Amino acid sequence: MAIPIESSPPPGWEREGIDDLLGSFPPGRLSEIVGPRSSGASSLLLALVARVTGSGGQVAFVDGMDALDPASAAVAGVDLSALLWVKCGARLRPALSAADLLARCPGFALVVLDLDELGPVPASAHIRLQRAVESSDTILIVRSARHREGSPAALVVGARRVAPRWTGLRPLTRLAGMRSELSILRSRPSHAVSPARAVSPRGEGRWTLDWIL
Amino acid sequence: MTRIACLTAPITRPEKAEPSSSTELLQVALAHSPRVEDAGAGRIYLDATGLTGLFGDEPCLAARLSEAATSAGLSVRVGIADSRIGALAAARSGPAVVIIAPGGDAVFLAAAPLSLLELSEEMAARLSRWGLRTLGELTALPTAGVFERLGAEGVRLQRLARGDDPRPLVSWRPGPRFEESVEWDWGLETLDPVVERMRELAAGLCARLASHGLAADGFAWTCRLGDGRAHEGALTPAVPMTDGAAVGGLLRLALEARPPRGVVEGLTLRARPVRLAPAQESLTDRSRPSPRLLEATLNRLVALVGADGIGAPALLDSHRPDAVALGEYLPHSGPLPRRERGRTPRGPQPRHPQTNPMIDSLVLALRRLRPPAPAAVTLASGRPVALRSARLTGRIVAGVGPWRSSGQWWGGQPWLQDEWDVELADGTLCRIAHDGSAWHLAGIYD
Repeated sequence: MAIPIESSPPPGWEREGIDDLLGSFPPGRLSEIVGPRSSGASSLLLALVARVTGSGGQVAFVDGMDALDPASAAVAGVDLSALLWVKCGARLRPALSAADLLARCPGFALVVLDLDELGPVPASAHIRLQRAVESSDTILIVRSARHREGSPAALVVGARRVAPRWTGLRPLTRLAGMRSELSILRSRPSHAVSPARAVSPRGEGRWTLDWIL
Repeated sequence: MTRIACLTAPITRPEKAEPSSSTELLQVALAHSPRVEDAGAGRIYLDATGLTGLFGDEPCLAARLSEAATSAGLSVRVGIADSRIGALAAARSGPAVVIIAPGGDAVFLAAAPLSLLELSEEMAARLSRWGLRTLGELTALPTAGVFERLGAEGVRLQRLARGDDPRPLVSWRPGPRFEESVEWDWGLETLDPVVERMRELAAGLCARLASHGLAADGFAWTCRLGDGRAHEGALTPAVPMTDGAAVGGLLRLALEARPPRGVVEGLTLRARPVRLAPAQESLTDRSRPSPRLLEATLNRLVALVGADGIGAPALLDSHRPDAVALGEYLPHSGPLPRRERGRTPRGPQPRHPQTNPMIDSLVLALRRLRPPAPAAVTLASGRPVALRSARLTGRIVAGVGPWRSSGQWWGGQPWLQDEWDVELADGTLCRIAHDGSAWHLAGIYD
């Protein structure tokens, strides 16, 4: 039987690995996705949001920097009608308060606090968020530029840029995407998901992904 | 054999229909038969079987029904037959009282119009195309052929057209009344005991509502005062509620804000029931936020970030960059089919957007800068080679563009934008744009 060419995964793509990684964010716990600019952290976040809305869950997205691009989200497969977007206008305190409120409202499968470079965030804020979410089934993700020391996060995933991908030869004609590397910086054994699930296909806790544009 | 009587009031235009006339018609029917069906639109069916001992034969019963309706100020027609449709056809056939003899429904209905069957629009059009106008013409068709072309619904309609209606009467029952009252032999002069009684009434009402699967979207109370006056008030919660404690708290606040002026000797609390949509449609659906908690949370979020900062994103039908609106957030229970998801935006698309679910979600995200940050861009041979802005500064080592888009040139607010995707020396991928007069940093790929 002929296999359509579309079914061949692109280079660097490990389907089982990324599915396991996306499924490893523990409900009722605080997790973090960290990475500098152009590291792929926001792309990973959109993939997670798409996965949750695709399974019928509701997502609250607290956008600290008003940076969410709904067009990118729609292309990534996010059901925009299942997304509650809270724009905070680059103000840290309202963003933290909004995330706290939403974490205490049962029914959201995922609450995202996208801070990017907004900060500094006091460690007590992370503890408060962890307290808010721990009695529910909600996944709480904080996306920031760097990991906050003292954070009670159960899972911390770091993203690192590898290289952009261009199409065309002299001159280049189009930005095709970006390759980045994801790694688990912290996985506390107490979190509800078996640590065995958060292992990449190569068993190193690292994933190399090609994000396409 | 079952005998059914039909009372029909004159048809009025919906905007002029009086609800009280339907109630009075119902009262007339209930005064003559224990089994009454309210078919709506001023039409009542009642079981006329076995009423001979009470009211005499059927002409006497019909005359009594007509007289009772007239004395209630209603002008009705009465039809009695073996079936509902027969009784309806009789009532509509002309004189004030028409009685079809037992076993005579099929013959009487043969000349009745097809509209008596209350057909769906599609079925009515199909029968009309066949040239059928009366029930008799429908019953004359071979049943096997009708089943072959119209299925079980066609056979059911054909039986109905003969007066063969196996459905029993659906007895009318009064809806539950959600009202609780309490009286005292002595008057209450202070507010606290009144509030306490009110909370007890609210708890009882909420328990009854919950047992019926209902909630209340409004409460109203009346306090009977010692001097004969009445103190009235109402409360409309933000969302329908069944939590007695929460309702009691709201009622306390409402009473404290506007307390009764005088000694209270009696109290009545009424609830306006509504049926709530379930929070989880089925066992396989994911749960949604509780409507009450969500409403409260959204209100607090509005206080935090403003009403224009919260909602569900919606893509606008425009090629303008960042053409996005915030719509009302209405959580639903299940995922939309993929084709109904957000409109695919302009610009570069995934290589295999919907054909390969494996790569459907692996999309490089753009982080928008709102508003776009003003930037200074150095050009060499028409290509950007350096970027300087408050957010990002650096040498451009690679870039593609310009991708030009424009719009509204036919209207009053034309716009034009040349976009470049560039890589800075530190590896940052970003989108810069020139709007014809100045450069700005539109977003950062992440």
